[in-house]
Order: sequence, then structure tokens, then C-alpha cells
Amino acid sequence: MSNPFEQEGVEIAWCPGCGNFGILKALKETLFELGYEPHKVVLVSGIGQAAKLPHYLKVNVFNGLHGRSIPVAFAIKTVNPELLVIAESGDGCMYGEGGNHLLHAIRRNPDITVVVHDNQVYGLTKGQASPTSEEGFFSKVQTLGNLSTPFNPLSLAIAQDASFVARGFSGDIEGLKKILKEALSWKGFALVDVLQPCVTFNRVNTYGWYKERVYYLGENHDPSNRFQAFEKSLEWGERIPLGIFYTHRKPTYQEKFYTQIPRSHLLYQGTLSEESVAREFQLLV
Amino acid sequence: MVDWEIKVGGAAGQGVQTVSEILSLMLKRSGYYVFSLEDYQSRIRGGHTFTHIRLSDRPVWAAKRYLDLLVCLDPLTYQLHHHEVKENGLILGNFGLGEKSTDSHRFISIDFEKEAVQLGNKVFANMIAVGAISSILGLAPELVAAYIEKIFAKKGEEVMEKNKLAFQRGRRIVGIPPVLPTRNSMPNDVPQFLLDGNQALGLGALLAGCTFYSAYPMTPSTGIMNFLASKIREYGIVVEQAEDEIAAVNMALGASYAGARAMTGTSGGGFCLMVEGLGLAAMTEVPIVVINGQRPGPSTGLPTRTSQADLAFVIHAGHDEFPRFVFAPRDPQDAINIVRRAFYLAEKYQVPVIILSDQYLADSKVSYWNLEMEEIPDAPIQASDFSDYCRYALTPSGVSPRAIPGGKALVVVDSDEHDECGHLTEDLDVRVAMHEKRMKKWEAMKKEIRLPFLVEGKEVTLLGWGSSWGVLREAREELHEEGIDAGLVHFNELWPLPGGLREFLEGLPFPIVVENNYWGQLANLLEHETGLSFARRITRYDGRPFLVDELCERVKEVLRNVQSV
Repeated sequence: MSNPFEQEGVEIAWCPGCGNFGILKALKETLFELGYEPHKVVLVSGIGQAAKLPHYLKVNVFNGLHGRSIPVAFAIKTVNPELLVIAESGDGCMYGEGGNHLLHAIRRNPDITVVVHDNQVYGLTKGQASPTSEEGFFSKVQTLGNLSTPFNPLSLAIAQDASFVARGFSGDIEGLKKILKEALSWKGFALVDVLQPCVTFNRVNTYGWYKERVYYLGENHDPSNRFQAFEKSLEWGERIPLGIFYTHRKPTYQEKFYTQIPRSHLLYQGTLSEESVAREFQLLV
Repeated sequence: MVDWEIKVGGAAGQGVQTVSEILSLMLKRSGYYVFSLEDYQSRIRGGHTFTHIRLSDRPVWAAKRYLDLLVCLDPLTYQLHHHEVKENGLILGNFGLGEKSTDSHRFISIDFEKEAVQLGNKVFANMIAVGAISSILGLAPELVAAYIEKIFAKKGEEVMEKNKLAFQRGRRIVGIPPVLPTRNSMPNDVPQFLLDGNQALGLGALLAGCTFYSAYPMTPSTGIMNFLASKIREYGIVVEQAEDEIAAVNMALGASYAGARAMTGTSGGGFCLMVEGLGLAAMTEVPIVVINGQRPGPSTGLPTRTSQADLAFVIHAGHDEFPRFVFAPRDPQDAINIVRRAFYLAEKYQVPVIILSDQYLADSKVSYWNLEMEEIPDAPIQASDFSDYCRYALTPSGVSPRAIPGGKALVVVDSDEHDECGHLTEDLDVRVAMHEKRMKKWEAMKKEIRLPFLVEGKEVTLLGWGSSWGVLREAREELHEEGIDAGLVHFNELWPLPGGLREFLEGLPFPIVVENNYWGQLANLLEHETGLSFARRITRYDGRPFLVDELCERVKEVLRNVQSV
């Protein structure tokens, strides 16, 4: 059986060799292997090269504003919990422009997966520093070298007790698929930060650079141990851990909401009935 | 005929708004028509706040400046407002050491707080005042007990009982017989309903089948969120307090894309943050209703006061060009139907609809004999089971069949320019076709718009929009009674402007445009759109609404100036 998520005849606007291709392939195969149907999946993205990904899959797509994919994804899942909802975009979109939404989505714990293409650089605007760029990173804008230190998405998410926190590498598609399978099947907010080389603008964090450093968290890592997870999230440099850092199963926003109200979705069912209108008017008497 | 103006003032935290709430209900129950407005400061304790209540035997739509009764919960109220009391008017309360300025007023000195302390806590001062006022107005005490129970039920038996005691104490110590005829039973021809603008806006959304409201708290629109939140359990709706207005509008769009009727509400500053989202709504053609409760700006401005200065902003807000509706309800009753109509038209044309409320409308309570439900058709989503679906299929009307995700149709929407199937494109011919598709809706949208309300007059014509309806309507009547043949043109549907407007407005005698802003934004808009001149403008931008008698004076002043030239 061919993969129903395969989008035929589409011209992909990424640079040859871009790390985005690995993420696209991993996501497409994961969705198929988990048995999802395209019309039950919604991909929400922001703006940037990474945010074009939904167009290269056969799914429902909401390609919205820069930084704003998470509020949109939250609302879609809340209105129709039957849908699988994935927000995906780049590190500038998710950690920069939309950083505030990430913080508050963790608090809400909606049952969505957030996949972040983290290449430590701005691609589409041609090479400026991103929130995850190393200190000292030089660009046409950061002419003194980046004066800011990098944002650590994993530490932040673990500190905020996010329900599921993982890191993958687009250079290892099979490894990434394993993580995505867990993340998509997870009930609750799942953050997957994906290290992704930018072959055009990031000459430091290349495929080779990553391959020398990345390793998977082993059996002795306990994702339910928040302190251990946090400690691991700080490791960066000579060795860079990949895998599922932290999990904490807790009621999702949708679970908490739907157990308290008399419906299973919020789809429009027509205007209020005459009896309800009469009841509401009576309250104003 | 009874037609009284009452003002009750005090510091924030003294419970002035509770006085307004209980008194308005009691008066309505006693058969009076009621109009009330609230004036408060952006603080939680202290400062000065007042409620202004008008009661009458006939329907009332606005307030007047000069008072029959001033109730002072603190001395500052006396200092600030005693000059507004009519000759022979009554002043009740704590005047402090303030000089009683004139012999032409009747004074009843009661230190409400001191009385309340004797009952155990100064918080009961407001209920003592309610008791005193109800006695002066000749209202039956039984009417109040029920409301006290309703309002304080959640706070427990003791608080309820103490408040009842406070109420009775107020009635006892007032020391004069009722000034108005005693009202024990309800007459037949009494107003049935009492509601404020925010309740009405929320109710309109509920009736329209809205199940998703996301917003960030911001005065004066927070009341909409409070209203809808009180309905969550019963109707199963989401009321999500977003982290900011950007999230609020994007959530509403996500909800609408997924198939809910969704709305967000804010004030001007929050609307500024939503503007990119407004463009997203236009580009993705996802229906949305946005309420902007206006307050004076720019920037934070006067957070708790009123204004009509966002008209020019909201009709143009957003980069590039796109069609939208802009409505401005006249009063709470109108707000119910405007919101219902907004949802219908947002869905029918797949465009954003902006509703301009303001603090005056949001917080003002009006009583009605009847609430009328305008006949509004339904607009179901029909294409979700189409296979080979393209969200932006080109059609003669520019409106494509809408689907929601979950059915056979794959729904692809994009903030980038996109092709018929929603995928991003830089094919400039496609861009032109898509832009024309979106803009094409405009002509049909224009036909939806109704001509403004019109009462013809031979000498002068007042023009206005939105919440000024009540005051303009009463001012016109009052001018008429004074022998000035005044007419009225009033807009509640502002954008697009209706076709045939030039012919409609041409030849109106002596037009004067009345607005709560500096420029005269409606006047400018009408000049621009019709080529006619609207040079005479009465504006107010101190954060307070027009009052009937004040407005009449200003109209007469304009007329006098013309005659003296």
C-alpha cells in the first residue's frame, strides 16, 4: 500500500540537502505507520522554510501567521478532539515570534504535538541569528558576533513540567520516527525539538558536526525523573543527547473540559433552540 | 409623569455598582423604565466612581445632566456633583465638612459608613443607601429582599441577613416620607427585560450558536467574557482566557476553521494586536466576529471611559485591502441582533466582521417591554464531504463552498497567497485571480447593508452612529418639543456603506454630525464616500457620553451661531 500522505507533483522550495527533508520523510512515514488517515490529520504551521512542510503532505493544513501556530492548533483540537493536530515550524517561529504561546500551551496541556525544526539560524530571511544560535555566531546582522546566549527549549519545557519533551535529529530518520511515534501517540502536550542542519547559512552546525556529537539517551534514563531530565537537557557541546527526555502524563485541556460539559465537540450545530432562547430571556426579567 | 435622574457616587470599593444593579432591577420591577450608565476609574479601591440612573414612566434611552437626587457615599461625591442637582432637588448622604452651597436643595444628612460600622462592617454602607433611596422613591421593600437574596446567596446566610438589615436600617433612618408615589404592585404595562451592552453582546453570540470565545481581559469588553463564562456548563462552550490578544484572535480563527462559530472581544489596544490576525482571517477566508469595545486612546488612554474614535481605524485596519463588515449596535437590544447577524454574514461571505461597542454601551443598562428577535437565516457549512475538494475554488461570487476538516474534503488554508486548493503560490496570475475573488465579495456585501434609520426634520438633522442612538433620539424629541423641527439619521451598519447613500443624504436640512471623537470620523467618512459636505460637527472626547440636555444646548448653540452670522 502506498503512503496516502504522499503529495504528488509538488515542487519543494527547500535547498538541496536541507535538513527539512529528513523531518518531512520521518513525519510522513510515521503518520502512515501509525495508521492515520489524511483527512483526520491537521498540520498547523507558521512562517519560514520549515513552515512550508504541511504543503508537501496530503493532510488538512492551516498555514497561518509567523509564530502563531500553537494557539491555532490548540483551538482546532479543542473544537474537534477527533482530529490529530500537529503544530510545526522553525525555531524562529516557535521560540522567537511565538515564544509566549509555547509557554502558555505547556500550561494548558492541549493534546497536540509541536515539532520544531531547530537549525539555529534564520533561513528564509537569509542567515540572521535565531533564538537558538550560539553566542558569538556571526551574520550580516550579528556583526559583533551574537551577543545573546541561546534559548534552551528542552530545559524550559521540563522546568514548566511539559507533558512530553523530546529531541530528535533530522540526520537520523529512523531515530526521529521512533520519537515522533511516541509524541503523536502521547496524550497531552508534546514538544519535539528536531536538530536540523541548515546547509546554506549555518556552516558550524553541519551534518558532520552533529554526527560527531549526538547520542541517544539509554535505558538508564528515566523520563519520569524530572531532575535527571533537566540535567540531561543542559548537556550540549561535545556530546548532545537525543530521545525522550521527560514525560509526565496528566489530564489534558480537552479531557478536563469535555468531562465537565455536555458535548463531545464544539462544531456548529445551528443557532440556539427556541426553548433555550426563551430561558435566556427569562433570566433578564 | 415621573422622570427622575439619580446619581449615586462613592469611592471604588464602596459598592456603587451593586447599588446600581439592585436599584435598576427594583425600579424595573416597580414598573419604571430604567436607563443607567456607569462611570468608574481604573483602580480597585478609592478614587471616585458613580452610577447614573434615570427612571421614568415612559421608555428612556439616555441620561440627562441635571439631577433630582444625588446620593453621596463619601464627601467627594458631594464636592464633585452638587452643582448638578436641580433646584429643589434632594441631596442625601455624607457631605463631610463640605459647605452646603445653596439653600435651593433639600439635604438629608446620613453618614452611611458610620451607620454600617454600627452593623458590624462598613461594607454595608451601600445597602443602607439602597434602603434609603428605595424609601424616598416609594418602592415596596418586598421587591428588594428577593434581589438581595439573589445577589448575596453565594456569600452565605450571614452576609445575606446583614445586607437585609442594612437595607431596613436605610429605610428607617431616611426620615422623610416618599417623594414619589408609592409603588406596591406591578402595573400591567411594565418593562420586562433589563440588560446592559456586554450582556447583550454575549447573549447575541450564544443565540447565534457561538461555542468558542477566546479573549484577553480588557475593559470595557471583559463583561462579554464574564457573561459567556457563566454559560459554559449549560451550553458547553469554550471561554478561553488567552495569554494575549494575538493568541485570542488566532485561537478564534483555529476554532472557526475547525467548524465552530468563534468570536473574540477586546478594546482598541487589544484590537491593535489582533490586526495581523484580522488579515489572516481575510486571506484564509475563515469567518470570525471581533468585538472592539472602544475607550479613549491612543495607547492605554482612559481605560474605563467611553469613546467612538476607532471607526476610521477598524474600517481600514490591516495591510493591503480586503472586504469586511463593520457594525455598531445602538443599544443592548440592537446588540443582540447585530451579533447574530454578524455571525450569519461572516459565514455567508467568509469574511471578518467587526462590531464596535464602547464603554457607554457595554456598561449601560436599558429596560425593554419586549426583546425582538430579528429573522436571520442559517448558514450551514456544506462542503465537508466533497472529495477532490479545493477550499478556494473560483466562483462567480468569489465565495467558495466551505468545508471543515474531518470529512472527506482536505481543507488547506494559507496566509500566503495560494492557489484554488490552498497551496502557496508565487504565480502572479493566480495571485490576481485570488485577490479579485476576495475583493469581488464587496459588491454583494454592500447590498446586505441597510440604509440608516431616518426621521425627517425640516430645520435641522442630527447624524450619529452606534451607542449615541438613545441620546440622539431623545435629543431630537426634546428639540421637537421646544419647537425645533429636528430630524435624525443614525447608522448601526457602517461598512460597507450602503448603496444609494448620496441620494439618501442629499438635501437633508442642516446636518450636524454628533460623535464621541475629535475629528468627526463618520462625518469624514460620509464626505469621502458621498462627496457631500458635513462641516457641522458636535464632538466630545473627554471620555464621557453625551447627555440629552447637554446635547440639545449644543445643537441650539450651533443654530444660534448660524442665525447671528
